[in-house]
Amino acid sequence: MRILMIEDDAALARGIAALLRAGGHAVDHVATGRDALAVVAGEPYAVVILDVGLPDIDGFTVLARLRERGDRVPVLMLTARDALDDRVRGLDLGADDYLRKPFEPEELEARVRALGRRRGGDPLPVLGVGTLTINRSSGEAKVGDRTLDLRRRERTVLEALATRAGRVVPRELLIGEVFGFDEPVGGNAIEVHVTRLRGKLAPDGPEIRTVRGVGYMLDAG
Amino acid sequence: MPGDTRTPALRTRLLVAMVGPLLLAAVVIGLVGATLIADVVRRTSDRVLGGALGAIAETVQVERGEVTLDLPAAAFGMLENGERDNVYYRIAVGGELLTGYADLSAPDPATLAVDVPRYRFARYRDQDIRIAEVRRALPRIDRPVVIQIAETLDNRRALNRRLMIALLIGECVLVGAAALLLRPALGWSLRPLARLRGAVEARDERARPDFSPLEAGPLPSELRPLAQAFDRLLAQLDSATGGVRRFTADASHQMRTPLSVLKVQVALARRGSGGERAEALDEIAEAVTRLERLVTQLLALARAEEAGVSAPLEAVDLREVAGAVITRLFAQAMEAGVELTLEGDERPVVPGHRTLIFEILSNLIDNGIRYNRRGGTVSVRLAVVDTATLMIVADDGPGIPAGHRDAAFERFVRLGAAGSPEGSGLGLAIVRSAAARLNATVELEDAERGTVVVVRFPSA
Repeated sequence: MRILMIEDDAALARGIAALLRAGGHAVDHVATGRDALAVVAGEPYAVVILDVGLPDIDGFTVLARLRERGDRVPVLMLTARDALDDRVRGLDLGADDYLRKPFEPEELEARVRALGRRRGGDPLPVLGVGTLTINRSSGEAKVGDRTLDLRRRERTVLEALATRAGRVVPRELLIGEVFGFDEPVGGNAIEVHVTRLRGKLAPDGPEIRTVRGVGYMLDAG
Repeated sequence: MPGDTRTPALRTRLLVAMVGPLLLAAVVIGLVGATLIADVVRRTSDRVLGGALGAIAETVQVERGEVTLDLPAAAFGMLENGERDNVYYRIAVGGELLTGYADLSAPDPATLAVDVPRYRFARYRDQDIRIAEVRRALPRIDRPVVIQIAETLDNRRALNRRLMIALLIGECVLVGAAALLLRPALGWSLRPLARLRGAVEARDERARPDFSPLEAGPLPSELRPLAQAFDRLLAQLDSATGGVRRFTADASHQMRTPLSVLKVQVALARRGSGGERAEALDEIAEAVTRLERLVTQLLALARAEEAGVSAPLEAVDLREVAGAVITRLFAQAMEAGVELTLEGDERPVVPGHRTLIFEILSNLIDNGIRYNRRGGTVSVRLAVVDTATLMIVADDGPGIPAGHRDAAFERFVRLGAAGSPEGSGLGLAIVRSAAARLNATVELEDAERGTVVVVRFPSA
């Protein structure tokens, strides 16, 4: 999943980014509310992590502006404040979830995954496409009883295709969802991952079809 | 004082203060009343006795050169009463008994005015008696005619006793009623006090301390100052605890971010291996340093806010303190590539507390090092001008824009965009608190570059 993190504390931002990247997500980081509003419109983020205390405009305002624009991206608020009012206010402004600092890293990861699933419109943790099953909580993918040995990126690509099984996923959208904007994307970056995935899914798994000039599609089986 | 047995209860006080004087008044009224009653009884009884005397005296006539009289029954009827007093009389002409009781005490006729009755007490037959006597001058009789009538005193005494008893009963009822009514009256008077107490006690029961003014309803004018004093005390407590509350809230708020960093990095260190783990450990070390500094500064702030309240001022050699601070921060400055200098050769001494001045300088120089460029300097200058002693700390950093200078002194306010050095936002707040304790002022001044902080100690 591609995640946008808005956090002004550099050390915490580094930590959260490392944590989420290790979980196979592509993470973009901005430190101010203004940057966040500029960036979020152009990219297909699956989840936004938003700190309430920002140096320029606070998290509540960022959230309110996002929702005013009609942006439906799932937002997880992070705050150092205890007050119930704050939590209620955040949720009422259109936040999807709320986490108080200091948080448990496992909880942050789980909440981000849950928000990502909801974004796809399917909250089930296990995704099934024909003989392929993907556990979106543990990241484990199987074809029948055979566990696939997937690299981080491959898992992200497979998940992006599997949530839209039977539909064509444009190449640009796939790149947007898989790579953060500070990651170098080679001309055939996606092709490399797709080719490897095909090898790992064969022979009994669903097939990934190339729609020339457009993108890819995972057979619904 | 609670439990002080030497201070009597309010009820006892009022009882003593009211019933005591009331008793005294009763005694005085009793004494005056007794005198008045005795007087009134004597006068009224004398009037009756005088009436009888007059009735007899009128019947005394001269008939053929002889004094005669006709004792009227009505005269004795007047003197009849429930006590069956004895009545005696004596009529004498020139000391010779005409009729009556011969041994009744006879007056010297020369002392008696004509037709003016005189009254006196006397003893007769072992009894106290009251005698009314009058002298009459009759035509052609040259000897004085003295008419006397007397009665025993039983009726007078009985009358006197009855009136005195009535008076005493009245007084007892008055004093008793006052003493009895005191309790309910006191309860009624003290009810606003009880209400006030209720309003105070209600505060105890609330989970969160409430320092808003008491709601005891309308109070009598005597209690209003007490309630107002209490409200003022509450307001003071409110601002004091408010400060502490804000401080702890701010402090805990400020600790949550480095704590989050720690949790995340610990998780990463557990999962990762080799290089990832080393990286996480570096991050952990940095977060711990940050927390440590935050805690140190919070303590310094707490110290600055409470220190110096009672300790007497001492003479502080600013140059010595500046030297000590620079020595301590030298290594940190070297690491940051910043030069520390102490300029001028004046050696001003100000009244103050060395610890607080040390704290002020430490924070200012520390800020100067943190928000500086490599190769920059932090200079400390000491100067004495007409009205004040100045301690000026200047750096080569980015400076603080004029519009943000007030905010810079607020707790936990960190200026500058993300990516600027990690600070707690407490430094200038500590400086301001400590300076306030020393009656010194702290100002940020305009400079061509960098930040210039001027601490001004007023001349004594």
